[in-house]
Amino acid sequence: MTRAFRFAIDHYLFLPVGAAVALSWANNWPASYFTFAYRVSFMVNDVGMALFFALMTREVVEAAAPDGALHTWRRLMLAVAAASGGCLGAVLVYLGYLQMGDESSVLAPGWPIVCATDVAFTYFVASNICSQRVIPFLVLTAIVSNAIGLVVLELRYPIGEIHAGAGIALSMVAITAAVVMRRCDVRSFWPYVLVSGAISWFGLFLTGLHPALALVPIVPFLPRTSRTRRFMVDAPLGARDALSRFHRTWKYPGHLVLFMFGLTNAGVVLRGVGTGTWAIAIAALAGKPAGTLLALAFAVAAGLRLPRHVTWRDMIVVALVSSTGFTFALFFATVAFPVGPVLNEAKLGALLTIGVSVLATAVAKLLRAGRFAERAVRRRASAPEYVGV
Amino acid sequence: MRLLVTIVLGVLGVLPGAGGAPTQSSVRFAVIGDSGTGDRVQYEVARQMVAARTRMPFELVIMLGDNIYGHQGPDDFVQKFERPYKPLLDAGVRFYAALGNHDNEHNRFYGPFNMGGERYYTYTVKNVRFFVLDSDYLDPKQRTWIENALRNAGDDWKICYFHHPLYSDGGRHGSQVDLRVVLEPMFVKYDVNVVFSGHDHIYERLKPQNGVHYFVAGAAGQLRKGDVRPSEMTAAAFAQDQSFVLVDITGDDMTFEAISRAGQIVDSGVIHREARP
Repeated sequence: MTRAFRFAIDHYLFLPVGAAVALSWANNWPASYFTFAYRVSFMVNDVGMALFFALMTREVVEAAAPDGALHTWRRLMLAVAAASGGCLGAVLVYLGYLQMGDESSVLAPGWPIVCATDVAFTYFVASNICSQRVIPFLVLTAIVSNAIGLVVLELRYPIGEIHAGAGIALSMVAITAAVVMRRCDVRSFWPYVLVSGAISWFGLFLTGLHPALALVPIVPFLPRTSRTRRFMVDAPLGARDALSRFHRTWKYPGHLVLFMFGLTNAGVVLRGVGTGTWAIAIAALAGKPAGTLLALAFAVAAGLRLPRHVTWRDMIVVALVSSTGFTFALFFATVAFPVGPVLNEAKLGALLTIGVSVLATAVAKLLRAGRFAERAVRRRASAPEYVGV
Repeated sequence: MRLLVTIVLGVLGVLPGAGGAPTQSSVRFAVIGDSGTGDRVQYEVARQMVAARTRMPFELVIMLGDNIYGHQGPDDFVQKFERPYKPLLDAGVRFYAALGNHDNEHNRFYGPFNMGGERYYTYTVKNVRFFVLDSDYLDPKQRTWIENALRNAGDDWKICYFHHPLYSDGGRHGSQVDLRVVLEPMFVKYDVNVVFSGHDHIYERLKPQNGVHYFVAGAAGQLRKGDVRPSEMTAAAFAQDQSFVLVDITGDDMTFEAISRAGQIVDSGVIHREARP
């Protein structure tokens, strides 16, 4: 494997590369791009993304386990407060912005989009600018935000015709099968994925929920013995448990899926900028960070504590970083809006939320928070002492 | 004076273009898009429509969306729809609306828009079937509906209208290629003859695309002056003033005129319906 490929894998670059190709393609040869995107969208968004969500679920399972990086209810409560406040702030700004114009009726249904936080993207941005101490909190906040958005989206926007009875029954069968396999000590991940996963996919499809989430209720049942204390790291090479093997087997196909997701969904016509674009961007830029910080202030006033050695300056940066919707916002947009100009506007807004990470970096530097504080301390330590004459 | 002359000539039936007495089989209608500003120019376009009706007595008006801009309370429906088109409404002309991005979706329940409470619907006038779509929200259910509706329609003429144009040389928005990829194959497969859209605040007639004739008529209230970037698919365009379109379908011929706010005919022609294999 070349170093460039390794770098791209480690930094989740396949998605932005796919997005960049899509943007160029859609704005230069729109007819061929949209024909391509329309044809492959089902396979990518409804089937392939099941793998991505499974890998993300694996991260959560590993990190939320008793020995994981995100364990303890105190951390969870603070993250829930921050995520809830962030979502509320973003939604209020989104809807408030729309009220100033006359397109609210068309665009208002897209409000769950602004709940989205791109877990992988924010993780890597935070790794470069934030203190390591806030990263578990940041990741947990991102996961809770997405969970809020997903629940709302799934309830508000059922996909296709709903056969709730059959769908719920199939989903129950899928989960039961996973439980039985776990009880019977099935150590390969394949039966979990091929049997339970496939049944779960059809179950969700019939229920009107997004089938890309098919493996989310199944992955927690995969036997696990690894002890991963950090987030977004590879399974240990020697680990032979099903969850670790699942990760090793599907990690690279997962990146291919992300590339395809970017290629299929990020192709937007740039002159399709509209009210929805600005509403999403402003909600991410102002509403979500403000809501997050206000909720954190209330939570601290109510007795919860910030993570140890974390300052409010760190939290300002975290609140900004966690407002980057990107991948998840694109995904949420495709669920909220069907193909057409409104979806195009929303996707442009989702792409613009990447800018919040740039802003977060500037703010971190300005406030000397996170890594910039550490660098400042190092610089002071290494500077020659001034001796007056 | 100009109006008087128009009325006299209209009564005598000597005006050129789509005029003359209606025949049993003719279907005549006006096309307006992006009309509902409630300002002076919308009223002036409406007056031209009234004047045009004296020589070509159309019985319906199709609205291409953005029918009411801004606030959408009861007073707005009066100021931006009922008052400007009062002479037409009083004469029994029926309006059939499509929803645009500036319309509240609840406007489909407004009686004079004749939407029957639906975002998308179809109706027939003599041998012409109209299909009205909601291009803001082209969900799978609507896609299935339009495919079935087109498949089952045996009418001589099939005309679709909705807000966002599949083809447009408008500088602000242009062609909605993502929608085109979904809708155009159906239009071609099921022999749709003509498609009207708005959104770009111009008038444009495109050269037939895969056998389908496309019009952009989004300047019955709004206008983006000069906002046309002519291309190889442009047949005619006008973006110097507000405008609307008059159509007369008789037998296998559809005669059309695009008329400016000043009453000038800025484009006209005949589309002959080809029997497709």
